Amino acid sequence: MPESYVDRLVARYEEQLQGFGASLPEEFKKSALLLDGVLGESELDQWAETGIRLAGQSLRAWEAATEYFRATPVIHATIGFQGIIAWAQLAANIAEKSSLVAASFIKFTPSVLEYLTLDDLEEWSLQGDRLFRGNWKSGTLSAAYFEHTPALLKFLPLASIEKLVSIIDALTERSYELASTCLESATRIFGELESSDREPFLGFARAVTRASWADTRLYFERGPSLITSISPEHRADFLDLSAKVTSEVGRQAFPLFADAAESLGQLSEDTHAEHILFASNIAIGSPTAAMEYLKIVPFVSNRLTSEQLRRWSAVGEEILTVENNAEGAEAFFRLESTRAENSLQELSSRIELASINTLLRMYAKALTGEQVGIYSVEELVDQNIGWVQESVATTEGSSIYLPPFVATFDEQEANFQSYKVFATHQTGRIEFGSFRYKWNQPGIYTGSTILEREESAQSRREVSADSDEVSPSSALTAMQRYFNVFDERILISGIFTVVEDTRVDAYVSREYGGIRKWLRQLQAHEGNRRPRVENMPLRAAFVENLLRTSLGRPETMRWPTVYREFLESGLAALKIVEQDDATVQDSAEAAAAIFDIAQRIPNVTPAMSDGKFDFDSPSEDMLSIQPAMPSGDGPPLDMQSNDQEIEFENPPQPEFRGDFKPELVQLLARLKQQQEGQVDGEGAPLTKEQLKELLENSVEITIAEWAEGDLDESLGMFLENLEQAATPSGEGKSDDDSKGSDESSGGQGDGEEQELPMEIDWSYYDEWDFRASDYRPRWTRVGQRFHEAEEEPEFYEETLRRHHGLVMETRKQFEMMRPEVFKKIKRVEDGDELDVDLAIEFYIDKKAGIGPTGKVYNKRNKMERDVAVAFLLDMSASTDEEIEKQRQSNSNDDDEDDFDGDPRKYFQWLAARRASQMIEPPKRIIDLEKESAVLIVEALEAIGDSYGIYGFSGYGRDNVEFHIIKDLEEPMGPLVQRRIGKIEPIRSTRMGPAIRHTIHKLNEYDAKVKILIMVSDGRPQDHGYGKDRTEKEYAVHDTKQALLEAKRDGITPFLITVDKEGHDYLQQMCDDIGYEVVDDIESLPRRLPTLYRHLAVE
Amino acid sequence: MTKENKSYTQLAVEDFRLTKEPYYLEINDEVSLFEAAYNNHIPVLLKGPTGVGKTRFIEHMTWRLQNSVGDAPSDGVPLITVACHEDLTASDLVGRYLLEGDETRWIDGPITRATKAGAICYLDEVVEARKDTTVLIHPLTDYRRLLPVEKRGELLEAADGFLLVMSYNPGYQSALKDLKHSTRQRFISIDFGYPDRDQEAAIIEVESGATPEYSRDLAKLAEKVRNLKEHGLGEGVSTRLLVYAGKLMVAGISPRRACQVSVVWALTDDMEVQRSIEEVVTSIFDE
Ligand SMILES: Nc1ncnc2c1ncn2[C@@H]1O[C@H](COP(=O)(O)OP(=O)(O)OP(=O)(O)O)[C@@H](O)[C@H]1O
Ligand SMILES: [Mg+2]
Repeated sequence: MPESYVDRLVARYEEQLQGFGASLPEEFKKSALLLDGVLGESELDQWAETGIRLAGQSLRAWEAATEYFRATPVIHATIGFQGIIAWAQLAANIAEKSSLVAASFIKFTPSVLEYLTLDDLEEWSLQGDRLFRGNWKSGTLSAAYFEHTPALLKFLPLASIEKLVSIIDALTERSYELASTCLESATRIFGELESSDREPFLGFARAVTRASWADTRLYFERGPSLITSISPEHRADFLDLSAKVTSEVGRQAFPLFADAAESLGQLSEDTHAEHILFASNIAIGSPTAAMEYLKIVPFVSNRLTSEQLRRWSAVGEEILTVENNAEGAEAFFRLESTRAENSLQELSSRIELASINTLLRMYAKALTGEQVGIYSVEELVDQNIGWVQESVATTEGSSIYLPPFVATFDEQEANFQSYKVFATHQTGRIEFGSFRYKWNQPGIYTGSTILEREESAQSRREVSADSDEVSPSSALTAMQRYFNVFDERILISGIFTVVEDTRVDAYVSREYGGIRKWLRQLQAHEGNRRPRVENMPLRAAFVENLLRTSLGRPETMRWPTVYREFLESGLAALKIVEQDDATVQDSAEAAAAIFDIAQRIPNVTPAMSDGKFDFDSPSEDMLSIQPAMPSGDGPPLDMQSNDQEIEFENPPQPEFRGDFKPELVQLLARLKQQQEGQVDGEGAPLTKEQLKELLENSVEITIAEWAEGDLDESLGMFLENLEQAATPSGEGKSDDDSKGSDESSGGQGDGEEQELPMEIDWSYYDEWDFRASDYRPRWTRVGQRFHEAEEEPEFYEETLRRHHGLVMETRKQFEMMRPEVFKKIKRVEDGDELDVDLAIEFYIDKKAGIGPTGKVYNKRNKMERDVAVAFLLDMSASTDEEIEKQRQSNSNDDDEDDFDGDPRKYFQWLAARRASQMIEPPKRIIDLEKESAVLIVEALEAIGDSYGIYGFSGYGRDNVEFHIIKDLEEPMGPLVQRRIGKIEPIRSTRMGPAIRHTIHKLNEYDAKVKILIMVSDGRPQDHGYGKDRTEKEYAVHDTKQALLEAKRDGITPFLITVDKEGHDYLQQMCDDIGYEVVDDIESLPRRLPTLYRHLAVE
Repeated sequence: MTKENKSYTQLAVEDFRLTKEPYYLEINDEVSLFEAAYNNHIPVLLKGPTGVGKTRFIEHMTWRLQNSVGDAPSDGVPLITVACHEDLTASDLVGRYLLEGDETRWIDGPITRATKAGAICYLDEVVEARKDTTVLIHPLTDYRRLLPVEKRGELLEAADGFLLVMSYNPGYQSALKDLKHSTRQRFISIDFGYPDRDQEAAIIEVESGATPEYSRDLAKLAEKVRNLKEHGLGEGVSTRLLVYAGKLMVAGISPRRACQVSVVWALTDDMEVQRSIEEVVTSIFDE
């Protein structure tokens, strides 16, 4: 066989190729053979030369060359020989910098060419090249880029990949590790994304990387799944929006994006378009507002219809576009603005219990005459004393539990009226005596058969030798004893509930004509939501039909005509309690009679007894049934079959009637009595065993853990909870009570209890956001606390001693102060005004010859001054600053001359100074505040004005500390003296809420002249009191606003700052508010009384 | 003065007699108590919140006594009422000299006139008077039944029909203004509480002419509102206000509105309490 050209070629280069790795000559040979006949001879030469040149470019370039030889036969088919040469040139360019990268480039070219043309290759090489920075890490990354491209190209065009490259490139400046993770995960991520989402996803990714590179990883990790919750058609829009926003919000971009995406996920997809569009519109004015809007939408749309939501958003949009107030709009959509809340409330038809709690409490008090608490059902469930349903109204006898909100109807009025109906039905149970069942008492319309029933039950049980049954005498309450009589507790309990609720509703609509209409509406609403009778077993259907009648919807009853007498006599019995004045005793009797009927009805389903009965609409007769007690027993309903009976279950209660648990309520009442020490005729204290028995038998209790686990243990816990609930008010209830209201929580009356170490009363105040020009509603929480200070009793005395002269002087000045209000004293012998009537009478009497004394003058006399002043002392950490230090630095400059260059004088001075510092520790601002407090106390005691002294500090808006040193109405005493001694610098300075709380206190106090004096170092500063710690504007504006609020309430505010170093940020703001900077700080104790005199007398 | 037609009658207080029986519904046994006290010369203190019928009761009793004594208008028991206030002096009660030309003339004060005429002297809101004024009645209200007329140096013995009756609302008095024990213990004390629902409904119906249903509803409302006493309501709603409400209803004002002006707003300025009461009103009345 003649040697071919290729063989010669191979032979020619074989030797040259020996110096490199073994694979090089092999690949060369293999490819050469493959190219035989494909390339011409000169082409072959050129091909080989190129490879060999490549191999020689650097130490490890032979690898790249190996790949070159391996790849060429494959790609020749697509790009031809000229292509190969051009491509090889690209590779050579890369190889000049890194043969490793070049190898990767070459190696993956064949796969890339499935997607790219020859022309693209250069672009591709450049992208990879861009990532290479000449070091090892970047080389690896660049190589990885070439490696991943083929896979990526499946999902992204090269132009998009370029964007990815620039993201990765940007990341390399921070972290190669992060860059390569992103690169590696890219294929998976883009593979998972819908094709239309890929480009926008990249766009936002780029923005995130620019704004906050570290978030890129988070975005790559969570982004894809986050956006799946957004409707597919609008993902791109959302991502575009997020990207646009990013340039403005910077680091917040990803969190905002994530929150907004999650929010959108909570909304139905067909609303996404609208929300995203709206957000995009406002993003033009404020990107943040746009994202805040998306975040808040789910919350708001829970309260508003979509039309209302539109109107609400329009208000926010107006703030942005018309008022041009971006920060206002942001606060609006964050719901941190009063305007936002108010407009939400106006638009919303939903009523929150919290907003009408006080109202309903008074309403319930009025209706029942008893102190009835109104709580959210959630709280009752938390107590775990047997109530579990969270959404229904109920009462345990002294409190009413209502759902946390009502949004059943479209109009606010209707929802509010629903609350009233709820409340009225529950108070009705109290008002109309549902819990006052007495054993064996006749009703108005019925006699009592319960004793006979009990006897027959007993003999029946003896016969069946069911020794486990409870003996009747052991019942703890009348209600328990009543229920014990019946063999089927669930059934009697359900029937009694229906009957008694019927009675209460009848009472309510008789007695309260004004809510009759709403009661009807709610009844109808409930009536429409009843489960289908047709699906119920027969006995349950019987009870359900009674319930429907009691909801005023008898026409919705469905019952087999063949068994009509059963239902008819049941209805007649039910009607008894709808009559005027029917009592709970009537209910008990009627329920017993209905129970008898129900027991005769087998609980079988229509399917099982198929064909035997149909559910029919009620006849005319049935609809006009008159009240009547059913006559005794009858034979059981004749089914002529052995259909299987289903365990009986009561149909669900209508929401507004809620749970009814008379047995538990009576037990609670009993426990309460026992705790209050009144053991009545009903017997000795309850034993645990008795309780356990009751609870085990009662069907009113559903305890979550009941079934599982240790019965004894859960029972024990339950008992504890019960006893806690029975404990007189204040102690048992959680302290949640005090939340959101200024009233101090109850618990008065049981005052002998030892004092708590510190009691905190929380109040909420708005805060002024000057940027939004609006209040942030209930933004701050002020905790008022009394100190039972024990330390430093001597501070007060000590100050008095030390400043004896000053104290005396101030006192004298105050005693001399001219009181400005006078009161007339009539009928005195000497005075400044003659009373004409008296004078005439005196004259006549004189004439008539009687000589009474001449008390004919009126005198203007000093009346008690009517001034109340509150001092508010800054107890923030900055008051810890030493004053000495400041002075020292000053005096060093000024006084230098005094020493006349004589070192002895200087040392004398120094020694004296040291000595004085030994005796007195350096003084701090707070010390001066304290001394001033002492002085002012002395002064005010002399003049007799009412005054309070308060200190404030705290950290963050949730925890503004408000310390009572002396309350306005509190008399001066040793305790106050000690509290003054205990004043210490604590934390930050949120002035606004402290001022507002003081205003609140002054408003509560009765005085003609009211003054608020705040002493501080002029530096409002707190966590979140402004954009960051250094921003003062927000704090200063809020403080000023609070001072203006004081003015508006008729209080004279006055500010004293003891700042020497010009830290005073308040001064420039408070032009129209009384203000003084006490320059010579130490003159504060002297200055304060003088100032006060000015304020209170002028 | 050319006008001849007198559009008014002027009468000396002791000559005034009621011409028709003032309606009064007895709540407990106050009528018989009062009669017994009157017959035994025992002074009476009527105690109770405003607008529960104290004044009406005393008028009613005067009328009853007047009719039991005789038929002629000059017979019977006159009622002399003094509204007490803090500037009330002894002279205002007992009498004073007047100047007539150069002469002085004595005129009797209300209490003196009552003592002489054997009238019931009704001191309304007696705690408002100054203590030095109230001690004046001490000799009149014990077994002596004497009125010292200091300025004339006389002692007046009370005529047989004379009785001193005072009224007093313990609700809003400050401790400062309470009655002295020595004053208090000269009187028997009849307590006027609020009538129960049926009684009050009856009173409203008669007094205002409102329908029995409305009257009952008003009485119900009163009962509910009185439950709110500790909630910033100084006093429960008075029967008087309910009668007003009834009258407005008769005049065609809607019940809710009538209650708003005569009950809700008349009772308190506290918005929250107002709203709560209004909710009670709207629960009871449907329009
Ligand atoms: N028992 C009653 N019988 C009839 N009318 C009554 C009765 N109680 C109250 N009233 C009605 O109430 C109105 C007010 O009563 P009255 O003026 O007597 O009150 P009072 O107790 O004197 O109040 P005050 O303390 O304010 O003077 C009467 O005009 C009357 O219409
Ligand atoms: Mg009166």
